[in-house]
Amino acid sequence: MRSKRFEVLGARPVNQDGYVTEWPEVGLIAVDAPADPKPSIKIENGVVVEMDGKKRADFDMLDIFIADYGIRLDNAEQVNAIDSLELAQRMVDFRVPRAEVVKLTTAMTPAKITEVVNKMTVLEMMMACTKMRSRLFPANQAHVTNVRDNPVQLAADAAEGSLRGFAEEETTVGIVRYAPFNAIAIMVGSQVGRPGILTQCAVEEATELELGMRGFTAYAETVSVYGTEQVFMDGDDTPWSKSFLASCYASRGLKMRFTSGTGSEVQMGFAEGKSMLYLEARCLYVAKGAGSQGIQNGSVSCVGVPAAVPGGIRAILAENLIAMSLDLECASSNDQSFTHSDLRRVARTLMQLVPGTDFICSGYSSTPNYDNMFAGSNWDAEDYDDWLIIQRDLKVDGGLVPVLEEDVVRVRNHAAKAIQAIFRELGLPEITDEEVEAATYAHGSEDMPKRNVVEDLKATDELMKRGITGVDLVTALDRSGFDDVATSVYNMLKQRVSGDYLHTSAILDDNFHVMSAVNYPNDYLGPKTGYQITDEKWDQLKNIPQAISPEEI
Amino acid sequence: MESEELIRQVMAEVMAKLGSDQVAPGSTITAAAAKGASARMDATKYPLGEKVPDQIRSASGKKLSEFSFDKVRSGELTSDDFRIAPETLEMQAEVAESVDRDSLGRNMRRAAELVKVPDDELLEIYNALRPYRSTKAELYAIADKLENEYGCKVNAKFIREAADVYELRGRLKSE
Repeated sequence: MRSKRFEVLGARPVNQDGYVTEWPEVGLIAVDAPADPKPSIKIENGVVVEMDGKKRADFDMLDIFIADYGIRLDNAEQVNAIDSLELAQRMVDFRVPRAEVVKLTTAMTPAKITEVVNKMTVLEMMMACTKMRSRLFPANQAHVTNVRDNPVQLAADAAEGSLRGFAEEETTVGIVRYAPFNAIAIMVGSQVGRPGILTQCAVEEATELELGMRGFTAYAETVSVYGTEQVFMDGDDTPWSKSFLASCYASRGLKMRFTSGTGSEVQMGFAEGKSMLYLEARCLYVAKGAGSQGIQNGSVSCVGVPAAVPGGIRAILAENLIAMSLDLECASSNDQSFTHSDLRRVARTLMQLVPGTDFICSGYSSTPNYDNMFAGSNWDAEDYDDWLIIQRDLKVDGGLVPVLEEDVVRVRNHAAKAIQAIFRELGLPEITDEEVEAATYAHGSEDMPKRNVVEDLKATDELMKRGITGVDLVTALDRSGFDDVATSVYNMLKQRVSGDYLHTSAILDDNFHVMSAVNYPNDYLGPKTGYQITDEKWDQLKNIPQAISPEEI
Repeated sequence: MESEELIRQVMAEVMAKLGSDQVAPGSTITAAAAKGASARMDATKYPLGEKVPDQIRSASGKKLSEFSFDKVRSGELTSDDFRIAPETLEMQAEVAESVDRDSLGRNMRRAAELVKVPDDELLEIYNALRPYRSTKAELYAIADKLENEYGCKVNAKFIREAADVYELRGRLKSE
């Protein structure tokens, strides 16, 4: 006979998730695989001749790159000789300033830093994150997509997202050829909600770069790196090709970050028996060596793999911590959905939400789950109020602010009309008033009229062939009376001339003032230091429309 | 994909590929990214676009401090004017170095050289650097062209180095 208790437990959402026991031989282990190398480094005449137990003659392509570019060598031998527990204590101890820790961490080898962070509990890692985050204050990023690539809805959702507080917005496509429309729609829409939002369109590397060159995006993120040579090859890149790509972006004045995450090597079948965290550490040293200002990591789209093994969610926090400790901007995932359990998805996110990261989600789905084209997010539009109330409960700044329905409706409408005007001015397929109205009040693409996809795609091709650029969008907006939006798009284009936002953890405020780890470095040194929520901000965060005041009773 | 299904698939793939990892001899290549001029800019001048806009010019030679929305309206500023200049990237590299971000600075210096390389050519070079796309001679030829036509010394050295590593690791196009 079956236990009624166990029947109930068996039906719980958490038991619809997949779990596996550790299997170190294939890399299905979060940390501390038996085959993980022991830390070591030997330098002769300025050249690394041994790293993590391997002689230079035995280095693979990643070893060569990391040894030659990824590690600060001037004090590497001394730092790597320090006991890992002592180094872990310095990372956690809030009296040791961030800058001092960075001098240590950037001199460590991948195996060493893995060993150091593995000395910590998740609570200690969160303490370390509070100090090691590069930018003084946290922020958040949204996904803006929909299953039909509807440009009017994209513009409206982007506007709402920026009004709600996201500092960056990312789109991708259902149909690849829609990419130019999607990029334009969220760039224009985002500026309506709050000027100064950075936007990107995640597509194949070369296309993504082209969209940026055109002035349709401000940054790129899907520059993926991997922790073993074979998986890097399967990803169709090398550390050198990715470094070159990084420089291509900078040469056009575009912000760029790399992407990596635990579990990708197991998922692609070449983990070499190493732990997920050790392999991710290698990715991060490649990103550092390539000169990327930052990284999106935290397993990202492979989250199902670490989430299935013991300590996997801890390893995800650990990899975020390693990224920040290498002085990189960290967009800390909390994106792809990995669980049926609401409890698990919140617990996973608290690891980054409580200490605060450069971008807590990368990103938070600004749409219902069915419209998220990044295979669903851990957080959706339906969760907006949950997020806001968790911020209010804990008095933490998770990057979002309460909004009024009338303001959301207003910016969605203005964004939809702005994209309608651009389409009209540029001779693209008509956006009807009916579509504008639907986008203004829509929750998802099920609320939108269908567009003629064939005509749209023909128009995207022509738009690229005609050589339309960001400047054409500015003039089209201006001609049709949207001079406010035109001015914002112009100011975004101007950013690429000064290149200030190429620096670590850069975002823009609504006056296009660049705020990065250069002018807003994290100076946390314990209670009442570092980023503090101001009274004004706290008033904003606690003031949710659902709360009843004594005056109302 | 459901995570359980994913794990099954992962395990199946992992088992199929067990033991096929390649092992090849290592290398003795050294890194030596060239250094630019002595530092002029630092974090105190940042953001440069706000604090020293008169010292920043677009790649087309226009002063950032003289940019205005009206000039876009009148057509005086065009798409070509919204491109960063090599000198600006050099200044930003100096800012990066002033806050101990040497590798970011190196990236900005490689980027400074690439400003004058046309978009299409950049994309072609990137694709050529992907694994199994080029022979060693082809990569060396790209490096020579970059160096001779555009003066990209650092990038040329970087690409030759890539070619040598690819050769060592068997990642060149088979001839």
